[in-house]
Amino acid sequence: MITQGSSQTGTALLYVPGNSFIHRMNPLTKLVGLLWLAATTFMLPPGGMATIFVATFLFGVLAGAGKAFIKRLILTLGPFAIFLFVIHGVLIERHDTIQHEWISFSPEGAQYMLKILVRVAALLAASMLFVTTTHPANLLKALDSHGVPPGIAYLIASPLLLLEPFSARARAIRDAQQARGLDLTGSWKARVKAFPALLIPLVTLALSDLDHRATVLDGRAFRARPFRVVLDAPVDRPYERWLRRALLIAIPLQIGVLLWL
Amino acid sequence: MALIDIDNLVFGYGKAAPVLDGVSLSIAHGERIAILGGNGSGKTTLAQWIAGSLPRPGMTARSGTLHAEGKPWSDWDALKRAETIQFVGQIPSQQISGFAFTVYDELVFGPGNLGLEEAEIRKRADWALDTCNLRHLVERDPFTLSGGEQQRLSIAAALVMQPKALVLDEPTGNFDPESREKLLNQINQLPEDLTVILCDMALKPALAIARRFLLLDEGRIVADSDAQAILAHPRTLEVFGAPAVTEAALAIRAAGRWPEGKPLPLTYGQAEALFKEVSHAHG
Amino acid sequence: MLTVDQVAFHYSAATPVLREVSFRSEGGEILALVGRNGAGKSTLLRLLNGLRKPTQGAVVIAGKNTRDTPPHIISHSIGTVFQTPEQQIFNATVRDEVAFGPNNLPLTPQQREERVVRALARTRLTDFAGKHPLDLDQAQRRFVALASVLASQPPALLLDEPQRGLDQRGKNLLEEIIREEQAAGRCIIIVCHDMEFVARLASRIIALSEGRLSADMAPVDFFSDAPAMAAASVEPPDTLRLSAALGLPASLTPSSFADHWLARHN
Repeated sequence: MITQGSSQTGTALLYVPGNSFIHRMNPLTKLVGLLWLAATTFMLPPGGMATIFVATFLFGVLAGAGKAFIKRLILTLGPFAIFLFVIHGVLIERHDTIQHEWISFSPEGAQYMLKILVRVAALLAASMLFVTTTHPANLLKALDSHGVPPGIAYLIASPLLLLEPFSARARAIRDAQQARGLDLTGSWKARVKAFPALLIPLVTLALSDLDHRATVLDGRAFRARPFRVVLDAPVDRPYERWLRRALLIAIPLQIGVLLWL
Repeated sequence: MALIDIDNLVFGYGKAAPVLDGVSLSIAHGERIAILGGNGSGKTTLAQWIAGSLPRPGMTARSGTLHAEGKPWSDWDALKRAETIQFVGQIPSQQISGFAFTVYDELVFGPGNLGLEEAEIRKRADWALDTCNLRHLVERDPFTLSGGEQQRLSIAAALVMQPKALVLDEPTGNFDPESREKLLNQINQLPEDLTVILCDMALKPALAIARRFLLLDEGRIVADSDAQAILAHPRTLEVFGAPAVTEAALAIRAAGRWPEGKPLPLTYGQAEALFKEVSHAHG
Repeated sequence: MLTVDQVAFHYSAATPVLREVSFRSEGGEILALVGRNGAGKSTLLRLLNGLRKPTQGAVVIAGKNTRDTPPHIISHSIGTVFQTPEQQIFNATVRDEVAFGPNNLPLTPQQREERVVRALARTRLTDFAGKHPLDLDQAQRRFVALASVLASQPPALLLDEPQRGLDQRGKNLLEEIIREEQAAGRCIIIVCHDMEFVARLASRIIALSEGRLSADMAPVDFFSDAPAMAAASVEPPDTLRLSAALGLPASLTPSSFADHWLARHN
């Protein structure tokens, strides 16, 4: 029953299938673009950051990932905005704090909060644009075909792939222990006491998996050569290569300028 | 030159009693061999030695040697070893690389590491998809497959390396009878020159695949023979039980009613004919 | 002892997993639960031990309705041995692992100790009591899981493919223990693919097919009923086919076949 209802590519992915311009872009270009945007948000005034946010959001909608965007953004930014507002707008005492009956409010604090919020929103939207339009398998292939050591690609792939089996196993362990009398409904004290019974088998099994998987990788000649041959690697157009180079030069320059000024 | 030559191998974990206690064994190219043993007999450990996943640092032989095509595994480079022998372990989900998001990518993962030509990789993957009946699953995430499908995938992923030998550790342990039959047929259709080494504690799969049978008991090889002799070995019934039809014939033989020199039935197919002959002889 | 009454289960209404499943057992029997993969066996197993609640109908064990009793309380009435002992082992010694069940029961220390000692002896683990369970071989680990259920002495036992991974010696020991439990009046339910093992042990066969109860029969009747076997994707034991081919009385096991054959040819 564990796999029932899960999509064919696992449930841990945020990827939204599509064939938009951004989908078709080489994953490395998108990755470098994301890095550049991250570096850039630190240079821009709030208006600029808001522009980046709106632009990436629109690109996301164009790529067909609008729904995923809105859901994630609300889920993450909503609580974050409330939190920031309470801290900066209300709690922190500033020179311009206005006391109105039982509530106090600082316009400067609110402005500061807004600045942080748009920066996080811009970063989040840019990251969302990357993960919703890039299937991890494609990212792997792009890394592999550009001579990135296979070990690094493996570090990206395996957590994404193993998350679902791992949580399925955690559920199975919980079932097995409850069925032999472990009380998971009682007080928090009882639950703390029950914790080792859930954790130890999970860790033991994960270690055993690791050991076996290392043997499997050896058997498949993983890392026997410095590079892998990759089938169906994502297309890499000349302009994308130039774009990446330009962005990679721009990032340290921008950071340099920022530190200089 | 023999594919595998083991001479008086003694091996154990830590300070515990040896798991393999003086094993000597030679396996030729192209053999179909079953290593049979009960729980705790040491067969999985022997399989790991044969496949080259032992010795490892801190886990070395107490005495004795293993040579693969004339030299110890430790002298082989990882690439050549992967092209020589492949091991498929017991628990299907643990045989998946964790690198591939689809069945197809899982299949081409190994050959990609070998640095083969793209066309060659595709040819091998195509062949393995058909051989192991995986064509309809190419787009699936390997971790969402059933245990039986994962097992077929891990065998296919071993085959695409085009090894000289395939070591299978209880390959049908997780199967229902119907899927077991199918998998055994698929194994039987593998190329003749591929050496197949099957470790099992059920007789049925071994009888369906192997022509040579080793009986491993408490880390020692106590028999090395053909099917009939293995079934007649006194330890066999005790450790494995016999296929039901063989057990029935044995009970009749114990009552002194099975003709001298008449072979025992090993499969249902043989049983019907043999029992009819024996019944007829008794009128 | 055990009542499954008009039980239905689904995750969503469009894909029912189980429909209209009913059966009862009064203890002292061995029920084999058979059916192809996906027929609903594992779901039924989780309904019986209260890990899942039926969407409709009721499961009642030793007077407790699973609907309003949490699983850890149900476990005092029905002990489950799952297929993967590694999913439950967490104590540093075999003895502590086996004592886990009794420790959750209202017993005196002396009673607990007695139960643990007896469960270890029955599963031939006495000599390994001080070892780490994961240092044992695969078959012994399964017996650790079995011992930890036996030590709780629940009135019903639920065994998921208990014979898998056991050699003949292990199967013989398992068979011996199951028969003792049956003789002690317990209700034993075995989920099992191995029809030779089922034919040897079961007193009743419960077959599931596409989420419905497709048969509830004595083994000899079930294995002679071709449509019932086909619905559950089950092959008859070889000796039963052989006895039919030779015109002998239906024989579920090699020894009964041999008896019939010898009687005919004397």
